[in-house]
Amino acid sequence: MQQRWLRWLDRRLPPAPTVTLNHRKLFVLPAAAGMGFLLLIVLLWLLGTNYENNLVLALVFMLVGVFVILPVHTFANLSGLKLLLQEIEPTFAGDFGRAKIAVEKTGKRTHERVRLCWPPQEGALVDITDNEPAEVTLELPLVRRGKVRAPRLRVESHFPAGLFKCWSWVDLDVEFLVYPQPKSAGPLPWGTSVGEGDQEKTHTVGGDDFAGLKSYQAGDSLRHVAWKQFAGGRDLYSKEYASGSDARLWLDWDLLAGRELETRLSNLCAWVLEAERAQVAYGLRIPGQTVAPAVGPAHRQKVLTLLALFPVQGVSS
Amino acid sequence: MTDASGQLRSLLPRESLLWVFAAQFVVLLPHFVHLPSWLIFAWFLAVLWRVEVFRGRRAVPGRAIKLLAVCLAVTGLALTYRRWFALEPMVALLAISFTLKNIELLSRRDAVLSLMLAYFLAATLFVFEQTIPYALYGVLCLVVITAALVALQGSGSARAGRALGLSVKILAQSVPVMLILFVVMPRLGPLWAVPNNSAAASTGISDSMSPGDFSQLSKSDKPALRISFDGSVPPPEQRYWRGLVYTHFDGRRWSEPGVTGNRWFGRRFGNGQSGQDGDDRLPAVGPRYRYQVIQEASHNPWLFALATSDSDTRGVRSTGDDTLVYHMPVGSRLAYDVRSWPRESTPVASRLSPAEQRRHLQLPDSGNPQARAWAEARRREGMDSQAISQALLALYNRSFTYTLKPPALGTDTVDEFLFDTQQGFCEHFANSYVFTMRAAGVPARVVAGYQGGEWVEQQEYLLVRQYDAHAWAEIWLPERGWVRVDPTAAVAPERIRDGLQSAVAEEFMQDALLPLHKIGFVNRLRLQWDMINYRWYQTVVSFDADRQQGLLKRWLGEISPLRIALFLGVPVAVGLLGLLIWLNLSARGPALPPASRVYLRFCQRMARAGLPRRPGEAPGDFARRIECELPALGPMAARITAAYERAAYGDSTDALKQLRRLVRGFWPLRQLAKLGTAPAPRQSVGQ
Repeated sequence: MQQRWLRWLDRRLPPAPTVTLNHRKLFVLPAAAGMGFLLLIVLLWLLGTNYENNLVLALVFMLVGVFVILPVHTFANLSGLKLLLQEIEPTFAGDFGRAKIAVEKTGKRTHERVRLCWPPQEGALVDITDNEPAEVTLELPLVRRGKVRAPRLRVESHFPAGLFKCWSWVDLDVEFLVYPQPKSAGPLPWGTSVGEGDQEKTHTVGGDDFAGLKSYQAGDSLRHVAWKQFAGGRDLYSKEYASGSDARLWLDWDLLAGRELETRLSNLCAWVLEAERAQVAYGLRIPGQTVAPAVGPAHRQKVLTLLALFPVQGVSS
Repeated sequence: MTDASGQLRSLLPRESLLWVFAAQFVVLLPHFVHLPSWLIFAWFLAVLWRVEVFRGRRAVPGRAIKLLAVCLAVTGLALTYRRWFALEPMVALLAISFTLKNIELLSRRDAVLSLMLAYFLAATLFVFEQTIPYALYGVLCLVVITAALVALQGSGSARAGRALGLSVKILAQSVPVMLILFVVMPRLGPLWAVPNNSAAASTGISDSMSPGDFSQLSKSDKPALRISFDGSVPPPEQRYWRGLVYTHFDGRRWSEPGVTGNRWFGRRFGNGQSGQDGDDRLPAVGPRYRYQVIQEASHNPWLFALATSDSDTRGVRSTGDDTLVYHMPVGSRLAYDVRSWPRESTPVASRLSPAEQRRHLQLPDSGNPQARAWAEARRREGMDSQAISQALLALYNRSFTYTLKPPALGTDTVDEFLFDTQQGFCEHFANSYVFTMRAAGVPARVVAGYQGGEWVEQQEYLLVRQYDAHAWAEIWLPERGWVRVDPTAAVAPERIRDGLQSAVAEEFMQDALLPLHKIGFVNRLRLQWDMINYRWYQTVVSFDADRQQGLLKRWLGEISPLRIALFLGVPVAVGLLGLLIWLNLSARGPALPPASRVYLRFCQRMARAGLPRRPGEAPGDFARRIECELPALGPMAARITAAYERAAYGDSTDALKQLRRLVRGFWPLRQLAKLGTAPAPRQSVGQ
């Protein structure tokens, strides 16, 4: 049943980053207060009939008229509302995914008290009375890493009298990129890379012997820039330090052997964040993928995306 | 659904609170008259408390205080009202539930509940009064309550202008539905017995008559009856609206035993004539007068009609004393149809039954010796009943005065009036006349009711006011039956002919604060206002199943399910159609510029020819694609595209005209057929 309902919704309201609500996409039904109003109508009709009182009956019929007219108003309040997906920020599992959505009107009609939410979240309440589009940021709690499709967004309004609710389930094609939840696995693994024969060399951590200069690459730490040489009119070089070792940091899958897959990813994620904080170049080695050491937002995103999309079953090497 | 209840559970927006109070106040205001004052005080207190909570000066009351408030309220109600099954206690109960809810008016659900109660309370207002001012006030109540409902949504809609505007708009749009339902919705009649407005004091003619009662009534110019005739109209001197017969005299007061309260209903009417049996005594010849009486609320069961009457209106019965009664006290305006026969045409029992004889000759054992002696003397002179009556009336005519301010009378009211003061109002004359006739052995009774009436708006209806209240007599004459004798007419014939005002001239309505009745213009205005009220009552308030049928018959020709379905279905269909058109129009985006519309028509035709424009494809690209795939249409498409580009971006009217002309003559399917190129599907042409 649920499946069939969802299939029907998919046909009727196909996913799209921009959706304009109209009569094909909106549903109207009496709200809880509306059912109370119906009960009131019945009770008043009994009063009017028993007292044979035409004025009471006229009042009852007036309320019936209100009950007939209101759904049109409630519908009109949502019809013509346009939703545009603006931006989705990547996030970590266990945090809220945030989607920025612009809401604007397409016609002359205003839209008041419109609630956008992913139930059971509170969501946001918007009033669009002028031509300015409103921007709302909706949050969705995310627990799993990877690409997570958001459920359908509920757009709802009880305006003007609260007796009827008009709603739609909109699919704005929202897909969150969710990084693994960072879980600290201790300090950064300087030089502990358990390289096999095909790896270059093993290095020790924290060497402070000057090993030589190499030309500067974007992402190299500014602390290691050879400022003296630069001031002397030469090109920008980075100083390389090593204590008979390669000072580059490798975040290696195999360092965390014995842990569960998701824990390994979480630990790697925590290291990535720490390395970024410390502004040290780091490389990533996971089954099937190796990313050369570097530092900076672009590198961070590349590494974290790899971690996020790491197959759940793991990769057989 | 969780979302719906979530909306209800949410806290009440601060600005909406005042709206709820405003709605409650508007609804309660007219009820203040009959609600106990402690309740009104309690309501104000509760509102004050809630406002203090709202301003953060006081906490929301705890459970103990709420319980205490409920106990106090219930005790208060129990002490105020003895009877629970009545209208006022029920209204008070609604009002008290308002009040108690106010102190915990926190969520939107509380507010919605409070407003539903307000709607109900507004409706109960009409059970008390159905006049035009009350109806207008009811509309005001509806507007304010609906505005409060709108304001519950908070934010911009809680602004006074916005909320009221929306409310008026919604209500105005629901008026057509209301009108249709009002006319068509069947009136089922009471489903069960309902309590009535019990506390209201009865007005008008009471169940007994003692000297001074009628002069009291003469000070009121309130309407009592409105009578409209269907066909012939009785002349002024015949307009005696009989209400009540008094047969029992205790020396000072005339009354009818068992006329009030429930005993009235259990009472056996005289010779057993009532209801269906009553039809037997009515002649086969048609009634002389047919009329409808609309009686103001009197809170007494007796109705008013000419002599020898019958009514088909539900709940109306005839009594053995030739009067009409309603099955319960008339608590609000009541309309009843009456047919009256002339007395001469009715068959007459030759003798009164002994019980009736006794009843109509009853006199106290002592008192008023002079009158008894006078009657005895006439009897001894050998006069018959009619002659004695003539002699008595002649006595009145000789030396009596008709006045609104008669001197006070002692214990022997009849003697003092007949032989001493000789000044009186109608009840003095009726009292002395019936007493003397009974003393002479003639069965007689006092009849109370109204006499006369004033025409309104070219004889549309006769307006009878309280000051038209009158008392007269009826005597039993063998072979003729009951005969009306009005002793007042012997003294002041102008009272019967022209009404009270001309009979007592400067005494009339002397105590009125403003002598408005002396100003012709004001009188005319008052009559006009009365006529508006009358029509309001005729068309709206008394619109019942009969009138409904009449109206539908007039509109539809006949009442058949098909015609009713048509009558209902056509407006519904028109409404739905309008809604559909509106939906389609409103779903469309803003209107396109004319050039684009024409160009889109071109695209449609190309699509029909098997080459639709791709989404987002520029017109130039599209033209080139046409050139490629359907070379026969290429030049035309290029011209149209060029014209469109000039019209759309160059904004020239000539280009638009040209574009229109080109597209009008552009029929790709026909052109392809003429050239022998089959309008093949795209794919094959492309290859």
